[in-house]
Amino acid sequence: MTLYDKIMAIYPQLTDNDFITVITLQNDSDGKGDYIAKWEHPTLAKPTVSDLQAQLSNIASQLQALQRVA
Amino acid sequence: MSSVVIAGDTSGTITIAAPAVSGTNTLTLPANTGTVLTTASTFGGTGPAFSAYQSSSQTLSGSTDTKITFTTEEFDTNNNFASSTFTPTVAGYYQVNSSIRVNTTTTSIRMMIYKNGSKYKIGTDIATTCNNGFVSTLVYCNGTTDYIEAYANIGVGQALSASSSDTWFNGAMIRSA
Repeated sequence: MTLYDKIMAIYPQLTDNDFITVITLQNDSDGKGDYIAKWEHPTLAKPTVSDLQAQLSNIASQLQALQRVA
Repeated sequence: MSSVVIAGDTSGTITIAAPAVSGTNTLTLPANTGTVLTTASTFGGTGPAFSAYQSSSQTLSGSTDTKITFTTEEFDTNNNFASSTFTPTVAGYYQVNSSIRVNTTTTSIRMMIYKNGSKYKIGTDIATTCNNGFVSTLVYCNGTTDYIEAYANIGVGQALSASSSDTWFNGAMIRSA
């Protein structure tokens, strides 16, 4: 799950244009991965590290639920 | 062979020598102040130049400005290209160019040149089905600290096409400072 995927899971109302104009995700290919280089959205708050980490937990829970159904 | 020797201002001499051929040869200096270039002078034609391409495929996340990695050098005349970064050690104006191609079509591509870690110029910036992007610009580098990188942003995360013709970065000095 990429940083972009996590942010979209938190704020599904974001558009592609938002990621051009007010939000910049960046990766400097230095082994540190994707990060938020700019967040200037007028109404949505920049997600915290815990917000982003929670998305992984949500996905894990959903996978477990699916496995139980299967 | 005739020659004219001029004593240096501090030490040494400057020798102007006639060619070792018969006939009359005239050296005419311009009627204004300037510096005479020699074969040791650094100017556009002899400044640093490099060319590199991606030989090991890099996977980019979607909608993320990502530094492109170029793992194989075709040439690097002044050893100024390392870690996918061009840091020329000669001050001047540089023409730099970069291109990427993705393996599967994506929904958008934006190609960028970064100078000193910040976005400097944007080339291709399309938001329709596409598979390649290109950027080309002229940039001044101070010959000490300035550095240049190529970044790209693709709409659908995927691997780049790693080949010398598809994903590459090159540049050369075209004018001295």
